[in-house]
Amino acid sequence: MSEPVLSIRSLTVQAQLDGETRTLIDAVSFDLGKGEILGLVGESGSGKSMICRALVKLLPSKTIAITGGSMLLSGRDLVQLNEAAMRSVRGADIGMVFQNPTSHLDPVMRIGDQIAEGIRYHQGKSRSEAKAAAIDILGQVGFPDPARQYDNYPHELSGGMRQRAMIAVALSCNPEILIADEPTTALDVTIQAQILKLLMDLRDSRGLSIILITHDLGIVAQTCDRIAVLRHGQLLELGDKRRVLSAPQHAYTISLLDSHPSMPEEGGPITAEAVIDAPPVRPLLEIDDLVVRFPTPGLGLFKGGRKHIAAVNGVSLRVMPGETVGIVGESGSGKSTLARAILGLTPLSSGHISFDGLDLAQQRKQTLAQIRTQAAMVFQDPYNALNPRLTIGETLAEVLQVQNKVPTSRIPERINELLDLVGLEREFATRRPRAMSGGQCQRAGIARALAVDPKMIIADECVAALDVTIQAQIIDLFRELKSIMNLTLLFIAHDLAIVRDLCERVVVMYRGEIVEEGLCADVFARPQHPYTAALIAAIPDIDPDKPLLRRLPGQAVPHLLTA
Amino acid sequence: MHRYRFVLFRPLQFLPVLFGISVITFILVRLIPGDPARVLLGARSTPTAIARIHAQYGLDEPIWLQYFYFLQNLGKGEMGKSILFKIDVLKLILTRIEPTLVLVLTSVILSILIAVPMAALAARNNGRLADHAVRIVSTLGIGFPPFWLALMLIILFSVKLGIFPVSGYGDTLLDKAAHLILPSLTIALSLSAVLTRSLRAAMIVELQSDLATAARARGMPESIVFWRHVLPNSLVPTINLLAVNIGWLIGGTVVVETVFAIPGMGQLLVRAIFSRDYMVVQGVAMVFACATVLVNFLADIVTVTVDPRVRL
Repeated sequence: MSEPVLSIRSLTVQAQLDGETRTLIDAVSFDLGKGEILGLVGESGSGKSMICRALVKLLPSKTIAITGGSMLLSGRDLVQLNEAAMRSVRGADIGMVFQNPTSHLDPVMRIGDQIAEGIRYHQGKSRSEAKAAAIDILGQVGFPDPARQYDNYPHELSGGMRQRAMIAVALSCNPEILIADEPTTALDVTIQAQILKLLMDLRDSRGLSIILITHDLGIVAQTCDRIAVLRHGQLLELGDKRRVLSAPQHAYTISLLDSHPSMPEEGGPITAEAVIDAPPVRPLLEIDDLVVRFPTPGLGLFKGGRKHIAAVNGVSLRVMPGETVGIVGESGSGKSTLARAILGLTPLSSGHISFDGLDLAQQRKQTLAQIRTQAAMVFQDPYNALNPRLTIGETLAEVLQVQNKVPTSRIPERINELLDLVGLEREFATRRPRAMSGGQCQRAGIARALAVDPKMIIADECVAALDVTIQAQIIDLFRELKSIMNLTLLFIAHDLAIVRDLCERVVVMYRGEIVEEGLCADVFARPQHPYTAALIAAIPDIDPDKPLLRRLPGQAVPHLLTA
Repeated sequence: MHRYRFVLFRPLQFLPVLFGISVITFILVRLIPGDPARVLLGARSTPTAIARIHAQYGLDEPIWLQYFYFLQNLGKGEMGKSILFKIDVLKLILTRIEPTLVLVLTSVILSILIAVPMAALAARNNGRLADHAVRIVSTLGIGFPPFWLALMLIILFSVKLGIFPVSGYGDTLLDKAAHLILPSLTIALSLSAVLTRSLRAAMIVELQSDLATAARARGMPESIVFWRHVLPNSLVPTINLLAVNIGWLIGGTVVVETVFAIPGMGQLLVRAIFSRDYMVVQGVAMVFACATVLVNFLADIVTVTVDPRVRL
């Protein structure tokens, strides 16, 4: 490693809570070399974000403080600096890129002004000089028309462009070090690949040192030089990327690597299609040429009425009882709208959905009654999808009472059965969502879906908000439930590796249409549609020798890939 | 300027609103017990005299025909003749509109000038002494009725200290300003209390928001973080609260004008109600209603200007 630009020694961060001292960062030491990308991995609560907050001394609460250690940046110990001196470090020496560009950019300020703001403050440039510098930076981070886009507000940009804008803000004062905290977690996989490529290009062109925080080992494998593994505020393992990935020393690193849903190279024989055709059973769910249109916002008074956008455009799909079907696609591809339409939560514009032989368009009331007693949904954000005022037991009891499939006297017993089924202790019946972790909440959400005693479960991005190790546990739970209960599962996800892991069949959606459909093994091994191929190529592989960026195709598929 | 296209179309929606307002005020006024002719004649009221006045002002016609005449007059830019003042109601209102308009405007400006620094002080010292002090003051401001506040201000500043005149409205600009300070302050103290609470709550949320963190992370000092990022993002809910409170504010001017004897529309309205001067009451009510609609429209324009995400 070259000369370190940043050297952290026994950094300790502690929180004072009700007279009790909790150690959040426990004597962590590492160096960051010039031009190096260091990956910080670990699950939520491991302290990886806290370290970066500590580096710029912007700790999230007044009760949390740095209590020991040193952080040497070009000869200065940041721990000893006062607030005024730290202000000149922030932005000018260390730039930060956050996970969610939507909430971290000021919505009421033009993006160019947000970039120029730092330049004017730190470098004392005039308004016009700062604007010229900001336009230059916008061009460097990939804005095609920087002079015009200087005047855009954040909400006028796509998610990928917003993240580019935030990188531009972080780079505005020429920092030596860039801290990127989960910079691509909120983005689609193809956009993620572009942002990662941008970060690596910037490292090369500016000699930037980057600390990349992520929970995705694939990203680390593709972009970083060294990896630091954290858990419970302790640095468990630190070393060269290849060494850590191929010969992990610590047991936790090994389990982390095992739970990564990697995409093995597939080249086997084509699986016999006959498996699907063989059983002469009626499909549980039949979707025929479904179209769901939404009116565009705003009045089209003098433009011949409102315009409509087809979120789902001519989708046909059959799902057999007991089948597990994955629906993949980027945000805006219509996969969630499809799920909502199936459950009758969004009006259909044309086409048919029939569930167990009943047609939703023709016999709406009957079919809805049928669907609501035989299908259930698991949502993306378990905290928001559970009523915070009800205990898990009350939530489950409510469903059981409404469904009326279990006699009232047997409800407490059934609640215990459901908790057993999803692998939660029985005492969780008395807990409220706030007192549970994300994974436990999602298990409760699944228990609530199971309380319906459904034939079909629709899971909409139900693991997207969870840590990798928890993700793997939830996927295992689904697999187990499927085998015990002969569940039909419609699994919506943007993470292809997970779908490949869990589902038998996969449906790829792109701009409201199904572009490819088939057995998982076939689709992932030999994608027919260029969009599917691009999606698969954009997944960061855990093997550093299969570089992401070389496999990234040019502009094979328009629009979504160029966001 | 696609964002501002609603400015062209929104006024079309006002027409049915104003029609509804005219019907309601017309009927409500006639539900007030009493008879304008009886009030006007006082002790001289005989059945024939009352009938003569009814015929003179069209009050003997069926109510729907009276409403038709009212609309017909509106079309000619008149609002009917005041029974009490014997001139057209619109002309009467125009002579009284200035003090009320100035009073409302100065009250709004004053309350913003009080609310923004108070809320900023409280939010930036959240949980500390200054915050508690602001919260106590704003709770008191909401609690004290304007007429009582007005009397206290008169006792303190006019009677004891003799700085400002007790009541009335001046002739010169300076004189008018001196007369309007206490009335505006009365309204502003109540209104700013409501605004301060809303603004303080929004600022506390925004101070801890991601965008504030991001601004600090690029080295912005706390003052820039606050005034350039936190304040604009906290304003939107408060602008709408202010617009909603305009109705209350106009109601407040009625009380305040009466207490300070300012010859404005509020005072006119009170006198008209006591004399059952139907034409004046419905005319003033119409003007107040139009003002409320207009202010909400202005608030929409300000909201769109402050927050580029809003589409109307």
